[in-house]
Amino acid sequence: MPEDTDHLDVPRATVVPRRRARISVVWVIPILAAVVALGIAVQRILSEGPTITIVFKIAEGVEAGKTAIKYKDVNIGRVTAVRLSDDYSKVEVTAKIDKSATGLIVEDAKFWIVEPRVTLSGISGLGTLLSGNYIGFEVGKSKKKERKFTALAVAPVITSGQLGREFVLKAADLGSLGVGSPIYYRRLQAGQVIAYDLTSDGKAVDLKIFVNAPYDRYVNPGTRFWNASGLDVSIGSGGVDVRTESLVALIAGGVAFDTPPFAARAEPAAASTAFTLYRDRPTALKHPEAISTRYVLYFHESLRGLSAGAPVTLLGLPAGEVIDVGLDFDPKTFDVRGRVEIVSYPERLIAEMHGATQATERETFTRSGQQRHTFLRNIIEQRGLRAQLRSGSLITGQLYVAFDYFPNTPKVKVDWSRDVAVLPVVPSTITDIEAKLTGIVAKLDKLPYETIGADLTKVLAGVSVTLQDASTAVNRIHTDVTPELKTTLQAASLALGTVDGMLKNEVNTTLEELRRALATADGVLKSTDAALLGKDAPGQLELREALQEVTRAARSLRGLTDFLERHPESLIWGKNGAKQ
Amino acid sequence: MTATALTAAEAGLVSCETCALLSRPVEAAEPGYCRRCGGKLEWRRHHSIQYTWALVVAAAICYIPANVLPVLNTTTLGSTDSDTIMGGVALLYTTGSWPLALIVLVASVMVPLGKLIALSYLLISVQRGSIQSNHDRTRLYRLVEIIGRWSMLDVFVDTFTVALIQLQPLMSVAPGPGVLFFAAVVVLTMIAAESFDSRLIWDSDATRRFDA
Repeated sequence: MPEDTDHLDVPRATVVPRRRARISVVWVIPILAAVVALGIAVQRILSEGPTITIVFKIAEGVEAGKTAIKYKDVNIGRVTAVRLSDDYSKVEVTAKIDKSATGLIVEDAKFWIVEPRVTLSGISGLGTLLSGNYIGFEVGKSKKKERKFTALAVAPVITSGQLGREFVLKAADLGSLGVGSPIYYRRLQAGQVIAYDLTSDGKAVDLKIFVNAPYDRYVNPGTRFWNASGLDVSIGSGGVDVRTESLVALIAGGVAFDTPPFAARAEPAAASTAFTLYRDRPTALKHPEAISTRYVLYFHESLRGLSAGAPVTLLGLPAGEVIDVGLDFDPKTFDVRGRVEIVSYPERLIAEMHGATQATERETFTRSGQQRHTFLRNIIEQRGLRAQLRSGSLITGQLYVAFDYFPNTPKVKVDWSRDVAVLPVVPSTITDIEAKLTGIVAKLDKLPYETIGADLTKVLAGVSVTLQDASTAVNRIHTDVTPELKTTLQAASLALGTVDGMLKNEVNTTLEELRRALATADGVLKSTDAALLGKDAPGQLELREALQEVTRAARSLRGLTDFLERHPESLIWGKNGAKQ
Repeated sequence: MTATALTAAEAGLVSCETCALLSRPVEAAEPGYCRRCGGKLEWRRHHSIQYTWALVVAAAICYIPANVLPVLNTTTLGSTDSDTIMGGVALLYTTGSWPLALIVLVASVMVPLGKLIALSYLLISVQRGSIQSNHDRTRLYRLVEIIGRWSMLDVFVDTFTVALIQLQPLMSVAPGPGVLFFAAVVVLTMIAAESFDSRLIWDSDATRRFDA
């Protein structure tokens, strides 16, 4: 019915457009957004490394979200939280480690805070001045995973990548060494001290050292280490010898090592081999004494100043050393005496022997202990070799044991059968003098000063009495004798007067006679004068001639000396010879 | 006007979306073109609700990484700091500049979130054919449209900072991945608001027989 029905009042059917139920393409946008967001989330989760906790004693400069964890200067993680431990004694730092570094986080990994450090041996961590402290990391050897760590107090000196070997040094004390103290080999820095610790018994110190790669192969079982700290000043006959490894060692201390020439060539020592740290270079490089014999000496004198290590000399040459000083009690005589144990190194004496002609003797000494023994017995029992304490230094009072010949000492028998033979001694000269002085003092002490004093008092009292007697005597003289004396003197005066009268005449006549005698003498002298000093006096003429002779003689003597001066050879060759 | 007022569609007329000229459609299935401006006439915008929903969902997805991922990586003397939007707000607040913190919080966090919620509400109410508070919903829609263009402020500041602060090696700033997502949120919500056909607000469930 295709008619027009518009005019009809019939409700017109509406056209309902087909509902397009299909999903629009626009949903791609949220799906895309979701995919991207999920992708990022997944990537984040996948790249999420482990979260670890590091316990620090003090978290200096560690900030959450800021402080990085660096390994070989590469960021491997970041601190996410810093908080105090439950008992407030430590700091727990939580850090997120990069996924790529997950494999590094193993049981024995080390963490520490890197901060600027200025030490005697150098400055480190300057970069942290600007960037702030960061946490240093050092990978461990273990394969076991671990998520909780305790940080080191200080940075380890040696990083795992470094080639070389670790050794242990056993020392009596730490000296001036510390972590980072250099190790020297022929004055090249070859390593450093990486740790030290007291041994469990507390009696020694174990030093862990690290010798870097090219140098570690020079460390073999025969190598000696010694403390090269500070200055080594020795004064010898050649002057003052000052040795130090380096300026750093002088200040910060150091260890040096070397292999003594006598040590057998050996393979490099295995890692962690323990060595002894010697006090100084001479001690370290001392030749080990292969042959040594111990002896005991008993002294009845003070051993003050004698200590273990003191030298033992034979005729002034080093022959051994004192190893023990102590006391010994002899139960038979109830006698306490000084016991000195010495050790002799015959090799040293052999080394002192001189010349090829003595090669055989040397051979003898080296070869057999029996022969050496016989020799020693001979010189002790026959020749009078005796030990004596001597003062090595008057200032310090150090003593040493000297063996010398004392032919006048009584012969002794030494019991050689004993395990450690007792060798005869003589008292030392110093103590001898001391003994004598002591004797004198003792004698002086014994003088009866009190009785002497009493006697003296008595004598003085007697003197006093005598003096009083004398005084009375003088008084008596004064009263009794003086008047008599006066009369006597008057009589004497009279007597002298008469004597005077008598003498006057006598003297006059004597003088007269003397005058006459002088006149005669005068006459005699005058005639003599004429004979000698007159113009033609024969004496004078002769004298003049004699003088002229002397003048001539002197002139010719001068000629002779002039000639001799010019021709001294004429004394040997004569005048003619000289002319030639 | 009341909610019961006759809509153009109900009267069999179609309005031009460009010049708002009311025309009689050529035929119900294909309304034809506007006589005045030549714009394509549609009863209701094709797939409007679905489009808007898709974009709102995409924006909502992007909103999460935009806030979780850092928007700015600041490198100062070797140490790198990453800042998220909320981190920046917190930092500004703790350093005392709370007005700035408020601005950033409103512009960068609350506005995008508010837009998403507003659009979702509009879509749901339209789908349920609600005819309640049509006025307020229209006002809300207008607000969403107006505010949309200002949401790029954050991205703008970010890009400026990155371009300006390049003081190698003392300090340098690099954009973080979060800023991309943030920009995506802003753009997607803007498009979503645009694709929403506001005429739908006035269609009751009973009368909404036109494709949306």
